[in-house]
Amino acid sequence: MTHRRYQDIRIDLVYFGHLVDQDKLHRDTIQPMLQARSEDIQTLLEQSQYHLTTDSKDLIKGILSGKAAVFHENESYLVDVAGPPSRSVGQSETETVIVGPHDAFNEDAGVNLALLRKRIKSSHLKVVKLSVGEVTKTDVYLLYIKGLNHEPYVQEAVERIRKLETDSIFDTHMLIEYIDDSSTSIFPQFLTSERPDAAASKLVSGRIVGIVDGSPTVFSAPTSFFEFFSSSDDYYQRWILGTATRLLRYLAFAVTISFTALYVAVTTYHYEMIPESLLLTLAESRSRVPFPPVYEALVMEVMIELLREAGARLPTKIGQTIGIVGGIVIGQAAVQAGLTSNILIIAVASSAISSFVIPSYVMSASIRLIRFVLLILAGWWGLFGMFVGMSGIVIHLSGLTSLGSSYLTPLAPLKPRDWLDVFVRAPLTAIRQRPSQNKSPNPIKSKNRK
Amino acid sequence: MRNVPRILILTLVATLLAGCGDKRILEDLGFTQTTSYDLLPTGELDITLSIPLADPEAKSKRMILRTTSVSSKESRIKMAMQTHLNLVSGQLRNSIFGLTLSKEGIWNHIDTLIRDPSISPQVKVTVINGNAGELLRKDYKQQPRTGKYIDKMLQKEAEGQNVPKVTLYHFARDYYDDGIDPIAPVLKDIGDHIAIDGIGLFRDDRYMTKIEPKDALIFAFLRGRFKQGELSVDLSRETHSDKQMAMLSGLMSTRKVKVNLGRNGQTTVTFAIRITGSILEYIGPYNLSDHSDKKKLENQIASHIIDKSEVMVRMMQKHKVDSLGIGTHVRNRMSYKAWKSMNWNDDVYPKVRVLFDVSVKIKDYGKFR
Amino acid sequence: MRTMKEALSYAHVVILIYMVQTGVTVFSLPQIEAQYFGTNGWLSVLFVFAAVSVNIFFMALVYRIGNGKSIFDLMEQVLPKWTLIPLYGFLIGVWSMIGLMIVKEYVLIFQMMAFPTTDPMLLKLVVDLLILYLVTKGIYNIGKAASVFFWLNVWMLFLLFFFFGDFDWSRMTTFVFQGGEDRKEGFIAIASAFLGYELCMLLFPYADRKTKIIRATLMGNGLLTFSYLTLSIVAFGFFSVQQLKEMMFPLLDLMAYIVLPFVERLENFFYGLFLFSIIVTSTVYLWAATETSKRLFPRIASKYLSFVLVAFQYAVSFLPDTLDEVKNWLELFGQIEIGIAIGLPLFVLILLIVHKATRRGN
Repeated sequence: MTHRRYQDIRIDLVYFGHLVDQDKLHRDTIQPMLQARSEDIQTLLEQSQYHLTTDSKDLIKGILSGKAAVFHENESYLVDVAGPPSRSVGQSETETVIVGPHDAFNEDAGVNLALLRKRIKSSHLKVVKLSVGEVTKTDVYLLYIKGLNHEPYVQEAVERIRKLETDSIFDTHMLIEYIDDSSTSIFPQFLTSERPDAAASKLVSGRIVGIVDGSPTVFSAPTSFFEFFSSSDDYYQRWILGTATRLLRYLAFAVTISFTALYVAVTTYHYEMIPESLLLTLAESRSRVPFPPVYEALVMEVMIELLREAGARLPTKIGQTIGIVGGIVIGQAAVQAGLTSNILIIAVASSAISSFVIPSYVMSASIRLIRFVLLILAGWWGLFGMFVGMSGIVIHLSGLTSLGSSYLTPLAPLKPRDWLDVFVRAPLTAIRQRPSQNKSPNPIKSKNRK
Repeated sequence: MRNVPRILILTLVATLLAGCGDKRILEDLGFTQTTSYDLLPTGELDITLSIPLADPEAKSKRMILRTTSVSSKESRIKMAMQTHLNLVSGQLRNSIFGLTLSKEGIWNHIDTLIRDPSISPQVKVTVINGNAGELLRKDYKQQPRTGKYIDKMLQKEAEGQNVPKVTLYHFARDYYDDGIDPIAPVLKDIGDHIAIDGIGLFRDDRYMTKIEPKDALIFAFLRGRFKQGELSVDLSRETHSDKQMAMLSGLMSTRKVKVNLGRNGQTTVTFAIRITGSILEYIGPYNLSDHSDKKKLENQIASHIIDKSEVMVRMMQKHKVDSLGIGTHVRNRMSYKAWKSMNWNDDVYPKVRVLFDVSVKIKDYGKFR
Repeated sequence: MRTMKEALSYAHVVILIYMVQTGVTVFSLPQIEAQYFGTNGWLSVLFVFAAVSVNIFFMALVYRIGNGKSIFDLMEQVLPKWTLIPLYGFLIGVWSMIGLMIVKEYVLIFQMMAFPTTDPMLLKLVVDLLILYLVTKGIYNIGKAASVFFWLNVWMLFLLFFFFGDFDWSRMTTFVFQGGEDRKEGFIAIASAFLGYELCMLLFPYADRKTKIIRATLMGNGLLTFSYLTLSIVAFGFFSVQQLKEMMFPLLDLMAYIVLPFVERLENFFYGLFLFSIIVTSTVYLWAATETSKRLFPRIASKYLSFVLVAFQYAVSFLPDTLDEVKNWLELFGQIEIGIAIGLPLFVLILLIVHKATRRGN
């Protein structure tokens, strides 16, 4: 902490040297003060950048967040000269698109707010500022568009954040785990995104967007399960392409969840399902494998997860080596050594690739884990086990809510109109209403007809 | 409330860990691909299984198991003792029956096959003119594994209407239906190969007679609609002229059956058959690009088909086998009581008058006038 | 946490009723039709449909006259509660037994197909746990799960196109209901395949005006009739009547007939898919039993009641251990349930009329 005293003008300046922008401090505060005569000080301090602060707590908080405190006679003022380290607006790493805006949120909530304000130039865009964390005092901003938003959702979200008592929050995902409807569930119940265009579209559709200072991701709520399968890319392409990619993602979901499990179920219990032309190939590739299909599949699945995790932790340049090592060692050698059958490799690889097609990383991680459950069930009871597992998932999903609204909208409750923008991406002129889950008081979003 | 799912999951895992048997892991299985049944003079059954082998270390491409026993299930137990693999029948594709057994009746065996839930209703039923086991055990050098060879051949031939597609489902359906009798393709060994030997006609479950392979297409016309087939007709006799023959390809045929219950008890059945196809080969006096010539040829082919059909139906009536399902159509024109009170196969069917109304249409005749 | 209490929506009730009605009997439905009605037995579905619709009409009267109040409330406002205890006990017993016997039959068939030596009670335990898990989530969430299961199931109807090639109208014969057995018995047997609609009476308090619960029940029943009808017509044109009579589960044979280029013998797969509808049927019956037992033990949380009911029926379901025995049990309970479906609304109606008459008398 720096304490400067200017005797002749009777001013004390207190600030954290590493939190303030030195240039700004000199230009805005120190220079004018040094040039001013002692009798002008009072008028200087009446300028707008000096906030009269009487509460010592506020004063401490101000200094902690990078402001400079000015003490003059018996008054104390705060000047915003904050310039803490922050990176510039860059590209999104986890949600890349090919066409469309490339900017991404960064760790500075102010920048993030600006990015959103820049996109939505509306006086109805409201921000609720909350503070979370006894120790960290992290700022949380809840954004919504008045008139498009269902008020109880905001009240519910604000209430949940207010009730939260914890010492620290470092990331949006941490906050979400505290405030979502079922924190024990494997499924994320609030959508998170790094993309300002995605967040802006959520706002306009009537959802709430939350920004946590210090985190480059924002969350939006309420969310449905199917929202995790759409990407902003879908809207920037022609609608047929958007629809095709979206259907592809649902296919990928099915493949990820079931491919390896089906392999295990079929090779362990339901040999009669294999067509004759495949039967001998499959039996032959299995014939040298020393363990039952479940263990074989589990080993390979774990291997893929190891590869993925290693690739994610390593710097990009070394990460490529991992790919080569994994591809050759595990793909080729394991088959040649007779540890796995080559058809399993295909199944495991295609289910791994499919899992990366799902745009939301959080959701794709959850789904990858579920895959293991189904795999084990398939090993125990074949198709019966798989269907037991799937029923379990559906039952679990149907009990989930997001801000109290059904997680499975628009499938249950059934809202066929919403399907236009959930299972397919209909032409923009056909999607005339905001998603019904958001209960927007003004549901019509586009009046153009073609 | 929140603890319930956790407790459930724990119980689930605990019960699952108790484990279970019933695993049928692919490489430990011996998939029976074809089963053959023969009747020995002693009255016992001679059963042969053909099992394709996937093991790259094995010298032979397939395993043959053979046993004699009183029942087919007993034989399975006996055969299971001869091999290191678990015998399973979920991949069974074909069941072949020797001629002697077919004449005695095969329903007992079909019934066993249908009863077993692991056996597909799409398993083919085939009669072998000769000894089925011998044919199955023989290796045909120029052909794939014998079981697969028979299966592929039947499949291909069924697409060309040279034999009907007859599976357990078809056989059982026609067996139970009182207006139609089942059929099955007949094969025979001709030394280095296996050949189609016609279509076996059954009465209930007993093989009665067969239709020669050259007449298979005629049978197909009479049996129902189809969309693919080739027919070669020798018209020399009809025209009393020099050699004249035509080869029709890409045949499409539809069949309609009209029934007229005469007052005097004389039932008349008319088969209305519409055939279209293209001429691939023609030797004879007509100029196909001439419209009236083409008409003449069409009529000649039609009358040729009618002649053949008459002979065929007469033969079937003689053997009292209603393989064309004339009974179903007659039945649909009668009252339930009248139908039940008569003995269709024995009394009425042989006396039914069958007429034919065949029209042939030549769509095209190749790219050469 | 604030949970939003929503009424069941129209679509939910339609789907829920449809899914509850689709039970394990669908696998043998064409066989029942052929056995009892003989030729063109599929027509019997229409008669049962009409009868069920009339029955629903009585429930509509209960709903209308009772102002949409719970039937338990209606009964208790006329009769003292202790007189209703035997009735409640009876309902609890029947409903929990039906719900969970269905699971036993399902599991036994699966065992026959794929797991010849696995203990069926172990398989049943797993399904029962799932049911218990679902029933604790309440009727609104059961409705949601049912609609997801519905979409996972309903596309199977399109598979019926696969049988077009071997389908033949002339195989159906022109005789109507000839060569069957006792038609009255058959009518009851087919009516038990429709059971499930009667539980709409318990949904009254969970519905509001917008739900149009009676119309939704009729609609669900109509949907079921449509699917039963198409299935039966296909079965009667695909198999011969006599053959149908001899089959245990014609639907399984239909499924086994399907061959796709990359996979065949799909009956295991499709049969597995039916688990979804079995779970819904069973869960809703268990839920009904739980609702009734809440009347007897209002202080105990419903999840414990459900747990006790599941434990009780699980113990009982050890008794029948062959497919035939289970079928007989289900048949018996089905007949009792038909009695309940007809009797309960009539009973409540009489009570309502008596109630109104006495009030006017006062």
